[in-house]
Amino acid sequence: MKRPPRRGRLSTVVGIVLLAVMLFPVYWMVNASLQPGGSALGGGWFPVPPDFSGYALALRDQAGNLVTSLVVALGSMALSLGLAAPAAYALALFSLRGTDLVLLGILVTQMVPGIVVADAVYGAYADLGLLNSHLGLILADSTAGIPFAIIILHAFMRTIPPEIIEAARVDGAGALRVFRSVVLPLSRNALITAAVFTFLFAWSDLLFALTLTTTPAVRPITLGVYEYLGANTDHWNAVMATTVMASVPAALLLVIAQRHVTAGAARGAGR
Amino acid sequence: MTDRTSPTPWTGAGDDAVVDTADRGMVRARARERLARWGFVLPAAAYLLVFFGYPLVKNVELSFQQYTTTTLYSGVAPFAGLRNYAAILTSDLFSEALAHTILFTAGSLLGQFVLGLALALFFQRRFPLGGVLRSLLLLPWLLPLVASGTTWRWMLDPDTGIVNAVVRGLHLSSSGVPWLTGTPQALVSVILVNVWVGIPFNTAILYGGLQEIPPHLYEAARLDGAGPVSAFRHITWPLLRPVVSVVLVLGVAYTVKALDVILTVTGGGPAGSTETLATQAYKLSFQEFEFGRGAVLGNVLMVISFVFALVHLRAGRRARAAGQALT
Amino acid sequence: MISPAGRPTRRIVPCLAAATALLLAATACGGGARAGSPTDKITSITVLDYYTEKSEHDQWDQVLTACGRTAGVRVEQTSVPPASLIPAVLRRASSRTLPDLLMLDNADLQQIAQTGALTPLDRYGVDTRDVAEGILSAGTYQGKVYGLAPYVSTVALFYNKKMLAEAGVAVPDTWDELKAAAARLTRPGRYGMAVDANATFEGTWQFLPFLWSNGGDEKKLDTPQAAQALRLWVDLVKSGSMSTSVLNWTQADVHDQFAAGRTAMMINGPWRIPAMEKDRNLDWGVAPIPVPRAGRTPVAPLGGEVWTVPQNASKARQAKAAEVLNCLNSASTMLTLAGQHHTVPSRGAVAARYAEQNPSMAVFVKGAEGARARTRELGVRWPRAATAIYTAIQSALTGRQTPEEALRQAQRTATRD
Repeated sequence: MKRPPRRGRLSTVVGIVLLAVMLFPVYWMVNASLQPGGSALGGGWFPVPPDFSGYALALRDQAGNLVTSLVVALGSMALSLGLAAPAAYALALFSLRGTDLVLLGILVTQMVPGIVVADAVYGAYADLGLLNSHLGLILADSTAGIPFAIIILHAFMRTIPPEIIEAARVDGAGALRVFRSVVLPLSRNALITAAVFTFLFAWSDLLFALTLTTTPAVRPITLGVYEYLGANTDHWNAVMATTVMASVPAALLLVIAQRHVTAGAARGAGR
Repeated sequence: MTDRTSPTPWTGAGDDAVVDTADRGMVRARARERLARWGFVLPAAAYLLVFFGYPLVKNVELSFQQYTTTTLYSGVAPFAGLRNYAAILTSDLFSEALAHTILFTAGSLLGQFVLGLALALFFQRRFPLGGVLRSLLLLPWLLPLVASGTTWRWMLDPDTGIVNAVVRGLHLSSSGVPWLTGTPQALVSVILVNVWVGIPFNTAILYGGLQEIPPHLYEAARLDGAGPVSAFRHITWPLLRPVVSVVLVLGVAYTVKALDVILTVTGGGPAGSTETLATQAYKLSFQEFEFGRGAVLGNVLMVISFVFALVHLRAGRRARAAGQALT
Repeated sequence: MISPAGRPTRRIVPCLAAATALLLAATACGGGARAGSPTDKITSITVLDYYTEKSEHDQWDQVLTACGRTAGVRVEQTSVPPASLIPAVLRRASSRTLPDLLMLDNADLQQIAQTGALTPLDRYGVDTRDVAEGILSAGTYQGKVYGLAPYVSTVALFYNKKMLAEAGVAVPDTWDELKAAAARLTRPGRYGMAVDANATFEGTWQFLPFLWSNGGDEKKLDTPQAAQALRLWVDLVKSGSMSTSVLNWTQADVHDQFAAGRTAMMINGPWRIPAMEKDRNLDWGVAPIPVPRAGRTPVAPLGGEVWTVPQNASKARQAKAAEVLNCLNSASTMLTLAGQHHTVPSRGAVAARYAEQNPSMAVFVKGAEGARARTRELGVRWPRAATAIYTAIQSALTGRQTPEEALRQAQRTATRD
């Protein structure tokens, strides 16, 4: 029999190797972004010495797009939570008659391809002047965030013991106050998880950026990367620097909100 | 919170049968309360109707309309009957795209699921740094698809990419593999990339499912002399079935409509060998402005997801019942 | 259906009302792409083109800014990759967000004019005298001129002098010589030849000189002449003289490969010359595209981008855009642009003066004179044939179909309605 610690350590080594294999493309992205640009050559295994000209070029062309992405992602996060939290509260804590219908509807939304939404919304947006606007993208990007946030928050709020709410109710609090001062504070963790994912969904969106913008006026970073691909093949380092910048929020959130990300992933946050 | 008790408990909507008809004010207050409750759901429900309900209806309408180059400027799209359906469903492009979609979905799910399950089983062991490694594993799935797709495109470049550099370095092939330029290979490439993207998602959900299985079942099995293989077959797999159903149904729904990966890695090429229903729908609607024909493909995509979900959820319910019988 | 919208219950009504309110509120702060009413004084106009390559973009920026100054407006130039231009134009046409001044490849003009998105230039008194016949007819739809190009151009064979000298290879004149030269120039890490064979109109454009010089015709694609031309490209890839990546390369990529020394010869246009001249390590030469047999005359496609004034709510903006367009097509700007891009001015008298001043441009002046417009035979039906052609190229180069099969299918799709 092997002693558990050694076996544990062996597993750690295997785990690190597996992770290294899985994360190699991420390393390669960073490596390529730090290679000197100018030619379509492959570049070395290590970026020594690192060359930041790709970042200089990428920042010159894409800084505005980063801001756009941030505005759209934060906006979508706010909208998603703003609509999902009250809905989840009502669905979880009042036995409303239409609850099943709403929940079924949410399930159905997961089957609707984004392109179908884009097809229909494009015409409506053109008439309403929502093409090429932050608001238009925020609304469309929330198609991923809102159903997910409702699912997450509903699942959590159902576990809030009814006694707590009754107690508050006894204190004379109305439904709105119970929501604001009891349910929301209790749901803090679920709210953070939902916030992280709704932000990332909107940040990662390419489809709506591609279909619902027609001018460069409002262009998220994902679209920036996509169009860079077609136009800047002689500056691969800049293209890769842009992909690194587009990836930073995901990496950052994974590190600082690790627990919430893991929780959301286990809930089946899809794309 | 207070521990003071009071005789006026907060009534749920279910118990509003007893209404004191004498007290009209009470009734009005109740009505207002009920309205207020719906008020919480209303904004989200309205949003879902506008952004999902409306597109469902609108796509059906679009699919019966004729879009021509002049529609663009005039905005007039005459009724076309079933012409769009006939044109799309009988074209070679459709049958090819359908075949690619099926291969892409099946290949992606198989790879993601098998490798995801293997990793989930691996991470079930307790070892130092296990939790950290498990959450870092999520990174490929959290990155914007356009970012990882671009990276893979760079890595898979037949002439300058790292993958072929390794292939040549190991003397597996002197000319390298035409990852992005060969007709069966490009489809394999997009499947590989999509597997890479999907592994973390599968691992996370399956790991969650594995944690739900009561450890005492494994202990009992070990006492009965069952090895790891038979424990997997008789305990893990049956109890994991409901989670597996969820993973597969969501996986199909997300994979058949996958667009970003294919657009960034191959753009549907070469020679249309990686065109799927989703990329075709996108190109017809937004590159060629044939909204009518694009909508036909969108509808086909949706029907595929719905049918698969219905069939599978039904099968899943049976499996769940069987699983419950086992515990 | 399980769609919630399919259930006409009373509850839906307030939902829809709320949804409408939401959308109305949204429009209020939506903000259109273009501010200002038609009566405002026009201080700037927007321009859309496909000059994404940096030095080219900057050159155009200078010229547009200068012409804008003469018209008293600031010019906001936006460039998208060549393959994205037509989708972008269609999308912007349908959403009424077209730019004030639009550049189009001359082969796409008639199709876009057909949609009604463009305005005829006679409305603005644009001067079309002395414009070369080929490019003028490419810019004309149903008897009216919609687009005017300051210069015309075509493609040619570029080669790396040092690599040819090292391999002891002469500049190829015929297809056989081309194949032999490409094979001898191929080394590990380097290909003998590069073309753009991607699934866009650029791929079709590069294939045309091979198709036409062999007597092939876009009206009838399933001919032995067309198949022989396609087979030439297939052979180059199969023999390893050309990378399979030609399937994905744009013309800009082909140029990058050439500049990086990863290919010894390439098909490209003279507008790449400024970038090549900046590269001190690159010793390059240019020659006409090889012909099937010695003595044949090469037939090259007519290149050159026409400038157009799209439909627009504001007459004042259109007038300003037309002023800038006129300036771009004035004799002096033509000379500047042609000199910058190594192309040929589109007005006869200006071209003659230009040829006198730049004897080294003789190859291109002569080539552009004999060049054939892509829309000459098919007009608005050209884009469909062009799509069929690049599809056939892709099919044949990947080995999915023989050149004959691929072209037979191309003929079928090009003629089906």
